[in-house]
Amino acid sequence: MAKRCLVIDLDRCSGCDSCIVACKFENSIELGNYWCRVNAIGPTGKHPDIEMYWLPVHCQQCENSPCVGVCPTGASYRDTANNVVLIDKGKCIGCQYCIYACPYGVRQYNEEEGVVEKCTLCNHITATSDGNENFNDTTDPEHAVPPCVHNCSCRARYFGDLEDPNSAASKAVEAAGGIGSAKVHSLGDPSGAKPTTLYILSPEIAAWKGLQK
Amino acid sequence: MQATLTRRSFVKAMAAVGAATAVSTSYSSALSTTDKAWAATDSERTMYVSCCHGCIQVCPCKVYVENGVVVKIEGHPDGPTSQGSLCLKGLNQIHTCYSPRRVLYPLKRTGERGVKDAKWERISWDEAVELAASKIFEAIKKEGTYSFMVSVGGGGSYSFMQAMTLPMALGSPTVFEPGCAQCYLPRNAAAAYMYAGADQSIADCAVLEPFKGLAPKEIAKGVKPDTKVLVLWAAQPSVSQTAQSGRGMAELRAIGCKTIVVDPNFSPDAVKATIHLPVRPGSDAALILSWYRVILDEELYDKDFCRFFTNIPFLINPDTKLPWTAAEVFDGHVDPDPSTPAYVCYDQISKSVQPLPYGDPAVLKTQIDPAVVYEVEVKGKVSRTAGKVYRDEADPWTLEKTEEFCWVPADRIREAIDLYAKAEVAGIANGVASDMEETASQVPFGLMGLDMIMGYVNKPGATLTQNTPAAPGGPRPTHNWNGFSGMFGMIFGIGYQTGATPEQNEARIAAIPDEWDPSSPVPPFMTKTWLYALNQLMIDRLGMKNHKGLYEWCHSHIPTVREAIETGEPFHPRVWFDMSGNKFAMLGSAGAWYNAIMNGGVDFIICQYPMMTSFQIECADLMFPMEEWLEATGATEFGQLNYSFPCPGVIHLGETVPNTVPPQRVCNATAALLNDYIEQGNKVVFGFEGAKVGVASRNNGSYYHGNTIDTSKLRFPLGMGVMGGANSEKESWTAHIEKFKAFPNLAPKLEGVTDREGMLKAMANDPDFYGVTPPDMYWIYDQHLVPAADGLPTGFATESRKCEVYVQLAIKMGRTGFPYCYPIPQEAVDPSVATFDGDYSPICNVPKQKEVPASLSDPEGFAEDPSDEFPLALTSGRVYYFHHGTMRHAPFAREIYPVPDVRINPETAAKYGIAHGDWVEISSRRTQGEPYDPVTRQGTKTAEPIRGRAYVAEVVAPNVVWMERFWNPECFDNSVPAEKRTGGWQECNVNVITNAVDCRFNEVFGSYTNRGFAVNIKKSTKPDLVWTEPKEFAPFMPNNENQYTPADAGVAINNAALLTPIVEFNDPPTTMTGGF
Repeated sequence: MAKRCLVIDLDRCSGCDSCIVACKFENSIELGNYWCRVNAIGPTGKHPDIEMYWLPVHCQQCENSPCVGVCPTGASYRDTANNVVLIDKGKCIGCQYCIYACPYGVRQYNEEEGVVEKCTLCNHITATSDGNENFNDTTDPEHAVPPCVHNCSCRARYFGDLEDPNSAASKAVEAAGGIGSAKVHSLGDPSGAKPTTLYILSPEIAAWKGLQK
Repeated sequence: MQATLTRRSFVKAMAAVGAATAVSTSYSSALSTTDKAWAATDSERTMYVSCCHGCIQVCPCKVYVENGVVVKIEGHPDGPTSQGSLCLKGLNQIHTCYSPRRVLYPLKRTGERGVKDAKWERISWDEAVELAASKIFEAIKKEGTYSFMVSVGGGGSYSFMQAMTLPMALGSPTVFEPGCAQCYLPRNAAAAYMYAGADQSIADCAVLEPFKGLAPKEIAKGVKPDTKVLVLWAAQPSVSQTAQSGRGMAELRAIGCKTIVVDPNFSPDAVKATIHLPVRPGSDAALILSWYRVILDEELYDKDFCRFFTNIPFLINPDTKLPWTAAEVFDGHVDPDPSTPAYVCYDQISKSVQPLPYGDPAVLKTQIDPAVVYEVEVKGKVSRTAGKVYRDEADPWTLEKTEEFCWVPADRIREAIDLYAKAEVAGIANGVASDMEETASQVPFGLMGLDMIMGYVNKPGATLTQNTPAAPGGPRPTHNWNGFSGMFGMIFGIGYQTGATPEQNEARIAAIPDEWDPSSPVPPFMTKTWLYALNQLMIDRLGMKNHKGLYEWCHSHIPTVREAIETGEPFHPRVWFDMSGNKFAMLGSAGAWYNAIMNGGVDFIICQYPMMTSFQIECADLMFPMEEWLEATGATEFGQLNYSFPCPGVIHLGETVPNTVPPQRVCNATAALLNDYIEQGNKVVFGFEGAKVGVASRNNGSYYHGNTIDTSKLRFPLGMGVMGGANSEKESWTAHIEKFKAFPNLAPKLEGVTDREGMLKAMANDPDFYGVTPPDMYWIYDQHLVPAADGLPTGFATESRKCEVYVQLAIKMGRTGFPYCYPIPQEAVDPSVATFDGDYSPICNVPKQKEVPASLSDPEGFAEDPSDEFPLALTSGRVYYFHHGTMRHAPFAREIYPVPDVRINPETAAKYGIAHGDWVEISSRRTQGEPYDPVTRQGTKTAEPIRGRAYVAEVVAPNVVWMERFWNPECFDNSVPAEKRTGGWQECNVNVITNAVDCRFNEVFGSYTNRGFAVNIKKSTKPDLVWTEPKEFAPFMPNNENQYTPADAGVAINNAALLTPIVEFNDPPTTMTGGF
């Protein structure tokens, strides 16, 4: 099964929030809702011996996706073609069970439409992409990336299928030492959701603390 | 016809990706009357290439247009530094362009000044130009040419050359921008003084070398990065130029470049730094001197470069403070070429004082070994080398003492010095902080000097590199001091030419004709009379007596302009043409400015800006509508490294025009009125009627004008008229097309292209759409070593032909205005202002600091009047979301960063009972005491305290608070009842509490104090009108309302009347008249 997700290099991320705004324009998100957030983790320590990192958080594309399990109408589902967790707004009744089920708080209730929304990995433009952007044609469906990835001011974001070793996401993880290395992390998983999204952070920048501020 | 469209559905329509059905049908009907270029696109999406102007740098981008509406912007991958990145300032330009706050037609104020009575009437362009011209004409007729003044905004703003030349064309010396002395001028000028080369500013695109060879396509060409260590001294590229230098920094760090970041704030670049030095705000000069102390004592400097390509070994005459010349010291010494004089050193081979000729280090070092730090008697006077002068100044600044004063651990300072000084190659990129402090000259002198003594000059990987080739066999390099380092020829005057002899300079003046002469070898507008008038404009410019460094950019001293408005002395600017955004957010001591204007100090204020800000809503009497960058063509000339990208406007709204148009048209209309008046036999005063001749104003003003210029022959516009631009949109496009035709790869594509539509189409889908300078013509090193015509290394365009670490020019400048005030010298600086025993300091020193926090331990007395009432040091710095005063109306920025954070250390916050997220009141001397009286100069209070929201974290040291500039356009939103509205500049604006009133101005540049001064804080509450919740910003979303245009005019994005072709004027452009 495909594991399409974002991989984020926190050694590079400077916390500029451009991903949030790129996402809002692309997906027409109302004021106050965010499919992507950037958390400042730290500074920890005591001035001047301090360290910190920024942690962008969005739908983690969990393998066990509790949001899909709790949805009473089938509105939360996986794309049959590429396994991306999505929401069919036509089926969503706005019960918000999924918001409570999500361990990462990345689902948002759209008050105007009465439905739940979240990061789709911009599946409307990336459904068949391998994440290796075609710089001569950024709309090329085989290689398109979400605007949060394309515009990222630090090239800290990578997109693709972790099951495909040639995807941009897989290559970024590989370059950082691979899954299980000291630099590759994922968010804490007390509920067993198995988040797919990976984060790269070197100990020289800061010790990994997940979302713990 | 105006279809209705809710905000929500508008946004959805804008963002509908590849889904034509989502586009409201009202779009196509609305577009039926727009020009064919857009109508032809139907609902298809067209991509155009342009450049973001959201900050001072330029990121190429792709702009997608549907039915004449910009629906998406993304970074263009071909940017060699940005590589496809585009930050939120760029992305949010859609909301800027289509903001309900846009000014889309000329507007005339119909009510009284002040936000509560703000009412506007739409008028025609002709009426607007006539109104502006008549007001300027009336003022000049009544009181003379000095009654007019101009101001503009800093980098990334909408005008520059127009603002510089408009007052000159009408005979006025008064122009300013809130940046200048407070942003970049000091660093830019320091580089000119010290080696006539590129400066250390990374934000202003001077530092390019570190970003070389980072992009894959550059690597493919064999271009490699060389910078091993980069010092970001008070610069935060990741915030200020997020997608360009910020991206460059991310790439540079990723390939292993080490960074040292000097910043009181834990900025993103500090977070990623190898070493972070969180210096106490305002104490940088001491930290710099601690570096000199170590580097000189341990001889870590580049010995060859330091001895033979800097003036560090020159022996200094203690009486003149200038280097001894060999001709002064050695009888019979004659320089083979007087333009390259020999100076004097202590030679460690012969153990004697010897001439130090200029020459090839490889040859010289076999003959002479000049001491760097030495003291010896010369002509009976104990004389120190410049190096010794520096070492003595640095003596108090041991690492331990520096730790106490600067609040940085000594061992960490030492670690940084080692990393910098022991690197194979390194460089310093110097940011804006010192420009905003008393040490505006000292810090850049010190930091330029460090790179120079280290020999990090014209070397691969160094920041002090030039991207232009030397000319083998060329002349001894010279430098013109007539404003902007001679970049614009003689338009600002003739200035002295360093590197040339006095005789050669006299010959330059002799070549100027008495009368206008088209066949003259100098520009035809330059006559002896005009030269005299230009020189007089310089000398009369407000505040120049004490702060002559401002001549580098030909700007007035801002606090002195305010005083002139307040008191009418030494002359009274009556009509003000401002060409930028929110003056109240950007000018120090904003309350004093507000009071000066509202108390009747200015008769008429003309503004041009794309947006209504606090300044315009409170003060503008007339408003010209400007294009935003999505409409504006070629508004900026910067490229990205060796790439030059076209910046065409892609859409057009209402009656907006390029920034160049109103100054041109107003100037011409005013000139016509003045010329008629003179031709009728009337006299126009070139100067100010009734001003006292030869009387200096109380603070910094000088006014020496004798009104002796005969104006009977005078015809306006003077000199070159308004420079920098087009008289119309068509001219603007033509110039842009011509510029890119100059690139060989673009010339064939632009063949026959003459208009907007043609260029947009030619560039849109062409992968080879930009101009590029070949890498080997751009990444060039060792220019100073290339042999010149005299057989010597080319060297630098300074008096000594070397890097002048000891800024000998500054000594001369303070005394006579040399090299700017030429041929007529200016009176000397007031000795009480100058910190080097009555002269401008030629080296980095630590002047007494005013308003330092009482928390500083200062047994040596560097602090002047520390006050227990203000125990904390305040500093500032950009946030990602905004550039200068822009974009506070952008809802996707404001919902994330609604109000300014006040960064406070937890220890300090606890002391004041402040929790994270609490509202905090911040006060300074500007919000305390008796009201400031500009006439008696008694009192200090100019406004009420400001407020911000506490961000409590270890991001700053205890006793430091950090807060960025802000203003709140919601305070005058139409949704607020008129009687409750405010201008939105008092609530959260740190410039209310900064000191441009009675601070210690930097001696050379007159910079006032925006950072490093003392404040107090206390827990407070949210200001009533300020929005903090995301949904509150809904009125800022593009919609069917425009706040400033009557409903019948039609506004907003789906209105056919608004989607317009360019504005055209019927009258022909005027030609240059010759002035005098």
